[in-house]
Amino acid sequence: MSKVIETSHLCRYFGEGELLVKALDDVSIDVEEGEFSAIIGPSGSGKSTLLHLIGGLDKPTHGEVILAGTNIESMTRSALSNFRRDHIGFVFQAYNLIPVLSTIENIEYVMLMQGVPSSERRKRVFEMLDILGLDGLGGRRPAQLSGGQQQRVAVARAMVSRPNIILADEPTANLDSKTGISLLDMMKDLNVRHGMTFIFSTHDQKIMDRARRLIHLRDGLVELDEQRKEFAA
Amino acid sequence: MNLILRLAWRNIFRNGRRTFLTCLLLACSLIALVLTDGVMRGMMDLMVETTTRTFAGEAQAHKKGFRDSFDVDLYIEDISIVANKLEADVAIEAYTIRTMSGAMMSSADNMAGGLLWGVDGEREAKVSKLKEALVDGSYLTGKDNEILIGEELADLLSVELGDRIVVTLSQVDGGELSQALFRLSGIFKFGMREIDSSMIFINLAQSRKILGMEAGAHQVAFNFVNAKDAVDPESATIRSLSTGDIEAASWVDLQPQMSAMLAMVDFSLLIVGGILFLIASLGIINSMFMSIYERIYEFGVAMAIGTRPSQMVTLIMAEAFFLALLSIVGGMIVSYFLIDYFSVAGIPMGDMEFEGISIHNNIKTIFDISQFTVLPLSVVALTLVAAIYPALFTARIVPSEALHKSL
Repeated sequence: MSKVIETSHLCRYFGEGELLVKALDDVSIDVEEGEFSAIIGPSGSGKSTLLHLIGGLDKPTHGEVILAGTNIESMTRSALSNFRRDHIGFVFQAYNLIPVLSTIENIEYVMLMQGVPSSERRKRVFEMLDILGLDGLGGRRPAQLSGGQQQRVAVARAMVSRPNIILADEPTANLDSKTGISLLDMMKDLNVRHGMTFIFSTHDQKIMDRARRLIHLRDGLVELDEQRKEFAA
Repeated sequence: MNLILRLAWRNIFRNGRRTFLTCLLLACSLIALVLTDGVMRGMMDLMVETTTRTFAGEAQAHKKGFRDSFDVDLYIEDISIVANKLEADVAIEAYTIRTMSGAMMSSADNMAGGLLWGVDGEREAKVSKLKEALVDGSYLTGKDNEILIGEELADLLSVELGDRIVVTLSQVDGGELSQALFRLSGIFKFGMREIDSSMIFINLAQSRKILGMEAGAHQVAFNFVNAKDAVDPESATIRSLSTGDIEAASWVDLQPQMSAMLAMVDFSLLIVGGILFLIASLGIINSMFMSIYERIYEFGVAMAIGTRPSQMVTLIMAEAFFLALLSIVGGMIVSYFLIDYFSVAGIPMGDMEFEGISIHNNIKTIFDISQFTVLPLSVVALTLVAAIYPALFTARIVPSEALHKSL
């Protein structure tokens, strides 16, 4: 398995002097292709900060993030945007979707940015709608979808451009238990069947139960990096 | 349609009330500017018309040097040269021949100085408003001893219709004093103090006689069929008349203060426009920032999934463009009806005196194509300029910070 993410002595500090907050302090982790991992820890432990740094949404105070062999530190804002567009899929807690676009338009958003031809776009979108059980909802706007359906659309959007990795920040936080399980099972299935790499930031037990690797964070430090034996090949 | 443009178009309808208010602000700015332009053009036209059509005429011909010295000896001896050219020129609506000299008027009670004009009553009525300005008595019929004076001068001399007035003046080519007795035949009121208090009109033939001229005249005033010909610096009429010792000039040269005022009006319109757009720009910036802050989480998501900063700039600029487009459509429709209405009904201004020119009529707005091309395009351009700062702000949003903003 090749490494899709390498972080080396990653630090992210906010503020300065007495008000300095070390959100992440010297975190070095590697993520291999096809992983289904969760970054866990209490609130304020640095989960979202780590996920944002891995995704190139923020730049570290010190250290390096190497994504698919590229050090993101050296990239311009525009190059970083292109990199995110082409290599990373994001799923956030809620309000993921662009409200004025339909389900289909939301799913094809990234592909439109990539300049994927119309016929290819449509093919992939309908494939995703089918896989994620969203048939018949293509024309609806986000406000006309349930929370679970919206998250599935967000997953579809994240996956449809075939990124190297999907980063999900508390994807089940606003879903009821049943919908959350359904969504996670679907993501797990995609991971198994298509070999997609998923990294979650969460404190949802349902995600932890399904993750093959748990990265425990506390006060910005990696407390434990645990490979789950029950998932060993 | 391009995704960003589609997004921008739909985004502006997300908060209908804010979009309506922003468009209203822009549309009102455009309406105010179009109306100001229409009124200014109307006022200028009225002032030019008042200046030229009241008495002076749109253009005049004199003997060279007369305009500088008003020397009675500088008169056009063979007036037929000018008259024939004007008769043959299809661009000319009417012309009138005048003598002019300083004179002393005496009545039984008082005496006063003034300007004595000898005019052909019939021709004069076609060029100036002398006949229309008559408030008492009768107009010049060509008979000897008829004299018209202004209301203020009549008060000063304490004369009534039929009273005797003695005019004393210096003759041409020698300066011999000449006197003539007149019976007051008419009193006029132009509403311009300069004319009403010091100008006297007698028949051309008698004026030539008492001035000792045979067939000459000091001035030929004329109006064009199309008033715009008068402001043409390349006017063929003016050029053809300006030969030998005769010089012709339009009101643009004869009334330089009026030309300067017109230039000033253009400049003041620019200032009014600048102030209006500054106010509107602040409104646009405010509205756009409110809209950006409302959507900051959404922008964070959009940037996280790969929307480039330049695309964010395009999005905000496109939203501003669509706002401006909606505004100018509305603004132009309302402006058209207002300009059309006031071009007929006019705007009542009361009795107004501006730069010594009395304006009594309503100011009628004037339609000009630039009001519906240049001004709306300026609104679009300035809206886009106002949107640059919010657009750059959006492009600088850090996705991780935006995603931490409250949902």
